[in-house]
Amino acid sequence: MRLSPRSIPMSWKARETRYAYATVLPVVVLVALFTIYPVGYAVSTSLREVVLYRPASTPFVGLKNYLDIVRGDFFASAWGHTLTFTLFAVPLATMLGFGTAHLLRVRSRLAGFLNAAVLLPWAIPTVISGIIWAWIFNSTYGAFNGALYSLGLISSYIPWLSRPTSALFCVLFAHIWKELPLTSILYVAALQAIPDELYDAARADGAGVLATLGRITIPLVLPTTLIVVIYESMVAIVTFDLLYVMTGGGPAGGTSLISYFIYNRMFTSYNFGQGAALAVILALSLIVFILVYLRVLRSEEVYRE
Amino acid sequence: MRPSRAQQLLVTTLGVLVAAYILAPFAWVAVSSIQPEKELFSVPPHWVPRILTGDNYRFIFTGKFPAGYTETGLLRGRISEKARDALPALKNSTIVALTVAAANLVLGVVAAYSFSRLRFRGAGALYTFVLASRLLPPMALAIPYYLIVARLGLLDRYGALILIHSAVTLPFTVWFLAVYFRRVPPDMEEAALVDGCTRLQVLVRIVAPVAAPALAAAAAFAFMFSYNDFPFALFVTSTIRSQTIPVIVSATAVNPDVSFGVVAVTVVLTMLPPVAFALLFRHYITRGLITVVTTR
Repeated sequence: MRLSPRSIPMSWKARETRYAYATVLPVVVLVALFTIYPVGYAVSTSLREVVLYRPASTPFVGLKNYLDIVRGDFFASAWGHTLTFTLFAVPLATMLGFGTAHLLRVRSRLAGFLNAAVLLPWAIPTVISGIIWAWIFNSTYGAFNGALYSLGLISSYIPWLSRPTSALFCVLFAHIWKELPLTSILYVAALQAIPDELYDAARADGAGVLATLGRITIPLVLPTTLIVVIYESMVAIVTFDLLYVMTGGGPAGGTSLISYFIYNRMFTSYNFGQGAALAVILALSLIVFILVYLRVLRSEEVYRE
Repeated sequence: MRPSRAQQLLVTTLGVLVAAYILAPFAWVAVSSIQPEKELFSVPPHWVPRILTGDNYRFIFTGKFPAGYTETGLLRGRISEKARDALPALKNSTIVALTVAAANLVLGVVAAYSFSRLRFRGAGALYTFVLASRLLPPMALAIPYYLIVARLGLLDRYGALILIHSAVTLPFTVWFLAVYFRRVPPDMEEAALVDGCTRLQVLVRIVAPVAAPALAAAAAFAFMFSYNDFPFALFVTSTIRSQTIPVIVSATAVNPDVSFGVVAVTVVLTMLPPVAFALLFRHYITRGLITVVTTR
């Protein structure tokens, strides 16, 4: 008697395993192609001299690119701008999100409207929000200048985006606008998880608004605050799209945050070796945040439904 | 306890301020798109438009120059002409984003289901690898991406964007859905398996209908990431054959000679699909955002 393959029943276990690999591998292979190779490439490029005008000769130079970058003029200032930006962006996005979440939880028609509207800045492409905010801060027809002028606060339009410090704050304003949806939605979820009985008890004990906020709300949303702070830090550090359309890293490098600095090394200076070295430095710095982030997520189980 | 009048007033005032912060930029650009160029440059601005016109929209759709263009010269006309690429770019963006969403629904769903239900060698390591991949900063990957795409012969093709966007969104989808699937009790599925269904049949007939909201959220996230992506699209596209709408609009908008009203039209058109998407899938997206940021 001949046995066709079909008539030998494959073991249940083997079939399940084969199915598992067949379904998982396409994703794993695609992700591997777009992570392992790029990371390897970036590391290898960062150890060689790779510049546009000598594509054929890419000698190994060890850590020279790293040393050149770190010793260069713009490295410290790019990190300085990045940290300044992050130090403003994170607390502002966090606190505004916390406050807005309270408004979103009110039972009113205005709150219902806000709940729908609050998603919109998150939904549109970041470059589009940057373009709109760049217009608002524009020095010849911007609405911000127009508003200040109409209110009599300024006598002539101010070129907000042409001054290093004010330009950074314009980008910050647009960035907060973009991040507010996420932070406020996360806080809405956190506030919903606090049992009403706690507030009732506090009220019965005669606690005022501030005492309730300080003793109940803020401590109980602390896990969310940690997540928001770390997540927002990672987002702020890699800011690129807004800078590209709002300031082009200028004026005078005043808004050249680290991601823009990398872009600049690659596509303006065409020094791929140094650009790659910078990219590796950025990735390593972010890993610190990521490890802390995962740690926090693991230790907090408040979101278990 | 009823809030006092003063409290109510405070809450309403703050609510209006936040609504204004969120919506003013949308209103400003929409109002700009229906005014003639000259009106936009008045100092101070006319907060309520004096003259309304559809000329800017007509220019984008038909190529007929709005009145007043000739004064500003030929150069400006040519630069604004570039803004008309918005329509093909919208088409490119939509095709790419829909394909990426579909790829997520097929590849992402089956992979997430296997990770959440099946035990196989290396499952934990592969899952961690897929999740960890999404934590690399985009700017560190952009150049190697360009080289991979060039080697695959996909520069300036939809294929390049679809591959990159899928590689970036699939980890999210797998993570998000695996978390969701784990919360669904497996009783029904086990009964179906005993009755002789295959895993794939169980997934399609039993799990997918129950998980439909999560699948919708995953597809919406993938669509929106792909539609909104800027740096990757900037690096691997070069002509209108594959350039997406963020690339075209940013290229025209950063040119100081372009007509402001015309770019405002392209901005409005760009925002329509994601805004419609966000409002339509609002509840799924809200729940999804919370899961994505707070669950491991």
